[in-house]
Amino acid sequence: MTRHHPGDDLLIELAAGRLRAAMALVVDVHLDGCAACRERLHLLDAVGGALIEEGHPDPLAPEAWARTLERIDAAAVPTRRASAPRGPSRIRMPAGVAWPRRLDACRSRGWTWMGPGMRFARLELPEDPQARLFLLRIGPGRSLPLHTHEGTELTQVLTGTFDDGRDTFAPGDFDATDETVMHQPVVRRTGECVCLAYVGGRLRFQGRVAELIGGWVGM
Amino acid sequence: MGRVTHHRMHPAGQPARPRVAAPHVAIVTPAQARMPTTDELNEWMRAVAGSGDRTAFAALFRHFAPRLKSFLVRSGTGDALAEELAQEAMVQLWRRAASFDPARAQVSTWLYTIVRNLRIDHHRRRTGVVDDRGELDETDTLIADAEAQPEALLLAAQRERGVRRALAALPPEQAEVLRLSFYEEHAHAAIATNLGIPLGTVKSRIRRAVAQLRQLVEGLEP
Repeated sequence: MTRHHPGDDLLIELAAGRLRAAMALVVDVHLDGCAACRERLHLLDAVGGALIEEGHPDPLAPEAWARTLERIDAAAVPTRRASAPRGPSRIRMPAGVAWPRRLDACRSRGWTWMGPGMRFARLELPEDPQARLFLLRIGPGRSLPLHTHEGTELTQVLTGTFDDGRDTFAPGDFDATDETVMHQPVVRRTGECVCLAYVGGRLRFQGRVAELIGGWVGM
Repeated sequence: MGRVTHHRMHPAGQPARPRVAAPHVAIVTPAQARMPTTDELNEWMRAVAGSGDRTAFAALFRHFAPRLKSFLVRSGTGDALAEELAQEAMVQLWRRAASFDPARAQVSTWLYTIVRNLRIDHHRRRTGVVDDRGELDETDTLIADAEAQPEALLLAAQRERGVRRALAALPPEQAEVLRLSFYEEHAHAAIATNLGIPLGTVKSRIRRAVAQLRQLVEGLEP
């Protein structure tokens, strides 16, 4: 049972089409597995629908109708493209963990070691190539160093469970943190943890070694 | 309400149909136009999806195209682009009419998701970023819940109808927070400025407004 969901402030930005692509992607991965949040989003989409209905109509140019008919007549091609690109071949997910189809368009160089039992894979989303988007793979019992953020950090748990001193996050759970949160995720011994994470600003690790690792991996 | 089985349309393969006269559509002013009911809108969608009915499409165009344009202009899109995107949204409505499910959403909401994604795609193209995920796949979140219980879907459509009434019943400052979220590019900053509150308070203000909206919608009789 999913306990942690994206807040309405994020969902309304998604509904409004104002959320940057990499953040929207993390929220979308959550939505793919959470019918309740899809329903919440639907309500906010309906606000968009209501805003369309409530406004004063703004007449189109006189030729608009004729041009629309022309486009309809010209459009013989199916709107869907034949095949979606496959996910990055270099990213092997641990056994039993499904590759989220939403990530299919991302490019990646694959897993990189960042510490004992810890690996990350930088994902590059074509429509938001500058965004710091990662898959994190943290072994059982391992922990990330204590850190805070300079901006928003969004996390979607794909497998495994971690505690970060504030709460417990299990598969399907979503977490949003910002500069007000200092936390240290510790993965439970029951299994490896894989998360999709968007990091808005740099992470600020406590301790010199941790800082060095953080600087090295570009987080 | 049962699920309606639509036939896939094949715009290219259809026999030529008589053109619907343009003036009929272009010169209707808001004062003359009666607001169509939800049932009428759904009926027109069915006719477009089932038989490529251009008279029904003209009626949908007459109602929605000027409202889509107006919505886009209000949310900061320039006049020419708003016109272009409104037309493109109507082209999408024609092509994708068969995927519209009246048990799942109202036409206005379905169209809203189409126009939102068109705007996102436009901005990505403008910034030189190519979107190769396939066209408009976000819209499918509205029709992707085929596995959900039919009663839940019916409830969803009913609840959606309450959104307009709920928006009207919200305290003005909460309704404004919601509207600004949709109309402003940097909504959080705009809300902070407009309401004279710190940026940090904006998120909680939005959450309260949405919670209030949800409560109102759920409290309304279907």
